[in-house]
Amino acid sequence: MLQRSLIISVVAAGLFVASCGQEELPPPPPPPVEEGPNQDSIDAARRAAEEAARRAAEEEARRAAALEAAREALTAMVFFDFDMAEIRSDAQGVLQRKVDVLRASPAVRLRIEGHADERGSSEYNLALGSRRAEAVRQFFVNAGLAESRFDVRSYGEEQPREMGSNEQSWAQNRRDEFVITAGGNQIQVPGGGQ
Amino acid sequence: MRTAFRTASDILHRVPAGAGQALRGSTVLLALALAAGAGRAAAQVDTIPGTVRHLGVVYESYVPTLAISPFTGRFGGLTVAPRVEAVIARDLRYSDRFEMMDSIPLAPGGAVDYGLWDQFGADWLVTGQVEGLGNRFVLVLELHDVVFSEVKERARFSLPRPDAEDFRMAVHAISDDVVRWITGEPGMAASRICFSMESAAGSQELYVVDSDGENLRRLTNFNSLTMSCSWSPDGSRMAFLSFASGDPAIHEMEVATRQTRVLDFNRAGQPMTPVYHPNGEEIIFSLADGAESGLFSWRVREDCCLWRLTTGRWNDLSPSFSPDGRRLAFNSNRLGVAIPQIYVMPAEANGRPDLVSPYLYGQGGYYTSPDWAPSGDRVAFHGRYRRGSYHILIADVAAQGQRLLQLTYEGNNEDPSWAPDGRHLVFVGERDWGFGLFVVDTVSGRIRPVLAGVRPRVPDWSPSLASTRAPARDN
Repeated sequence: MLQRSLIISVVAAGLFVASCGQEELPPPPPPPVEEGPNQDSIDAARRAAEEAARRAAEEEARRAAALEAAREALTAMVFFDFDMAEIRSDAQGVLQRKVDVLRASPAVRLRIEGHADERGSSEYNLALGSRRAEAVRQFFVNAGLAESRFDVRSYGEEQPREMGSNEQSWAQNRRDEFVITAGGNQIQVPGGGQ
Repeated sequence: MRTAFRTASDILHRVPAGAGQALRGSTVLLALALAAGAGRAAAQVDTIPGTVRHLGVVYESYVPTLAISPFTGRFGGLTVAPRVEAVIARDLRYSDRFEMMDSIPLAPGGAVDYGLWDQFGADWLVTGQVEGLGNRFVLVLELHDVVFSEVKERARFSLPRPDAEDFRMAVHAISDDVVRWITGEPGMAASRICFSMESAAGSQELYVVDSDGENLRRLTNFNSLTMSCSWSPDGSRMAFLSFASGDPAIHEMEVATRQTRVLDFNRAGQPMTPVYHPNGEEIIFSLADGAESGLFSWRVREDCCLWRLTTGRWNDLSPSFSPDGRRLAFNSNRLGVAIPQIYVMPAEANGRPDLVSPYLYGQGGYYTSPDWAPSGDRVAFHGRYRRGSYHILIADVAAQGQRLLQLTYEGNNEDPSWAPDGRHLVFVGERDWGFGLFVVDTVSGRIRPVLAGVRPRVPDWSPSLASTRAPARDN
């Protein structure tokens, strides 16, 4: 009997010792949760989707920007020297960008509006504005574009951008403006940049 | 029979020395001539090449003195009489044909004391009496020849009610009768001037103003660029350029009703600068197409038949007919885009043009906006030589640009248009205080503003509206 109780106490002590020692060991890893692997793939997919959307948005923004740039190239003004209707060298690049967009966008038609500064006579400035508009149409035709895509008109000196009576204002007023009259929703970015 | 004109010696012979002499203003005229001469020397440099014979204004040696006795009124005419007198007095002053004496209340309504008026220095005396009964007003007008102590003309004119729209125009027509009685020449009081100007809403519209600067009214409300108005020869219609329908087009308006139609030439290009043929049935205008704009005619009555008059890779524009309709003055840059010049040519296809502006090879010069004088021998235009200011000039058609009369010496001056009296021009002037509409008397050189502080463009002076507006003389 005594022996049996001793065993029990030894066992108990052993158990106690054992239990004390066990406290210092790291806990066993938690049992694996069943949902674990599925959540990972969802996150990855979401990240991928987000990335794709971001890329698409970026692409879209880039395309929109390119489209906007193309539209701006079409409507950018060109300026002229006093009493002159010759295309200035600084206007060549502006017009060449228009030509590139127009080549890529066959549906687009433009109205070219010639303007003059306030000096000289009102009626003669109508003729001067008309020469300025025609000079640009001729530039387009020489670049191989169909003449029928362009309307020209002149407002003479009657619609200035700047009201001042000084060279700074006059230089801004001797200009051609461009209005997209058809194909405004079918502008294509030149160089295949769809 | 004595002619309407009297010679200077006739007057000098009978005029007593004294107050009358001073009133004749010969010293004033001399001072004016000297002042203008000084300005001319400076202005000549920037307006006219040195080889061109340059003329200043030639002053009349004799200008008759005209006095107006205060108009009297009977019954309802009592309050109307001073208003009629004021309009007539100003019209006669604006005619620039008289030295105007201040109105002297010398027994108004009584018998005219010719001896006393003679001592005051008057050559002519106008008296008037307005009778009013109900809404009916009659002006009894007398023109007295003070020198011969007699009534030269006497007429009864029925007048509209003073608050009626046509009241002033009816009185203007009477003023023109007085001018014709004395000088045998047409007046210009009964006329209007059309032009374009920016409206309060910011669009350029057509306006019209009486020759004396009264009755400024807007004619169009298109809310788009409208300009280059031109009166039909009878003053009932007007042609002009407008973008009102979206595209630039020539429009024609019935002035009384303001009913407007678009002339459809069925041809591409921008039409500009329309003007009527003296027969009133055709217009001539410029059509910009490609690098050129040529002159075309169109029959407005039949609304048909586009006919080309000039062609070439340049701009021909701003045509103006000679009074007989056989020749055209126009503006062309065929010698260079920056050096537009004035030409005249027979009004037929491919007529040979002759220069009338003072072009010299390699010397530049910018001359535009011709208007053929009613007298038929002169063309007015504006321009400058090299980088000078723009001034109003008149060229003898026969002298081909080698004889020019310069009328302005101050600021910039543009777009002259002849009055129906063939003596005055309206133009747009720029002064250091701003822009305005001015009238210059081509005989005395006198300039007066019609509208100041606005910026009018391309004015056109109407023909005489006296026959259509004035009530028939009530004799």
